[in-house]
Amino acid sequence: MVKRARKGDLAAYDDLVRRYQERIYATIYHMTSNHEDANDLAQEAFIKAFQALRSFKGGSSFYTWVYRIAVNKTINFLKQRKNKAQMSLDDLDFNAEHDPDLVALISDKTPRREVNLAELQEKLNEAMQKLSEPHRLVVTLHDVQGLSHEEIAKIMDCNIGTVRSRLFYARQQLQAYLSDYLQ
Amino acid sequence: MNQNTENFEQLRRLLKLKRYEQPPPGYFNGFSGQVIARIRLGERGEESAVIERLLWEAPWLQRIWAAFEAKPVLAGAFGLAVCGLLITGVIYSENGDVQPVALIPVTESLPSSTEVANVNAENHPLLVKPAALETSSTNPITALETDGLLLGGLRAQPTSFTLPGRN
Repeated sequence: MVKRARKGDLAAYDDLVRRYQERIYATIYHMTSNHEDANDLAQEAFIKAFQALRSFKGGSSFYTWVYRIAVNKTINFLKQRKNKAQMSLDDLDFNAEHDPDLVALISDKTPRREVNLAELQEKLNEAMQKLSEPHRLVVTLHDVQGLSHEEIAKIMDCNIGTVRSRLFYARQQLQAYLSDYLQ
Repeated sequence: MNQNTENFEQLRRLLKLKRYEQPPPGYFNGFSGQVIARIRLGERGEESAVIERLLWEAPWLQRIWAAFEAKPVLAGAFGLAVCGLLITGVIYSENGDVQPVALIPVTESLPSSTEVANVNAENHPLLVKPAALETSSTNPITALETDGLLLGGLRAQPTSFTLPGRN
């Protein structure tokens, strides 16, 4: 499919976009906490990937390569945006209310569970936005999206040790910001 | 360290909340289509960029273009002039094509017969004598064929046919 797309086959590229769109969008969304920005950046990342497809040597997987384009684009965007962050959060899925891990986090004192989840969502996103971009990215890719340290190292073009240390520091920071919401 | 690990576990649970953040329903249905449309648009944009570069590199062309944009009447007049030139060219070329037909000569008169239909060579437009051509044209081809036949002795032949009811 990648070979066909490299020859300019837009139908093949359409299939590739469909395959990775959700993961790429989610990464950018968790980095920006803004749906509109994530939409624009995700589209631009896929467009740039198509334009640069001829330079794709196949040294890494297409998935890692597209991820790297999306991540670089997002970090550049965030550097330009700097302090102009305006959150536009996606709605929580209905199933969040039934997740045992999240239910355990919600205080029994307040019966309006949805409001608490919404409040938690907002506080969590605010805390994420306080992290530096590399730290936010590591938390997003590992703790939210479930990528391995090795995959993250490839995407961020750094060694695994750097990924681990960034992850540890980022978690410490988040823990401090969200201490009121953690038991 | 144990306390840290425990806290990270709490944090991990809290971070799980982000997995439930979802874009509006149906958002991904049109996503790839928008990407492909923008790619196609970009390819067209590259073509228009070539025109823009041409305009930029040729200032006189840019001035003409600016004049056309400022005064649509001028653009219309220019278009009409181009069409006029085109039509004139077509008409002129059609007139020029008639001449070679007149190069077919006739060297002898046709026999007359009551059974055979007469063809009057002098009156037929395709069978014109060379002498007529010499006087009316500056065409060098006609000058060359004054003492011979251009098509190697092509002659007009009488055509016989029987009229119905006269047999």
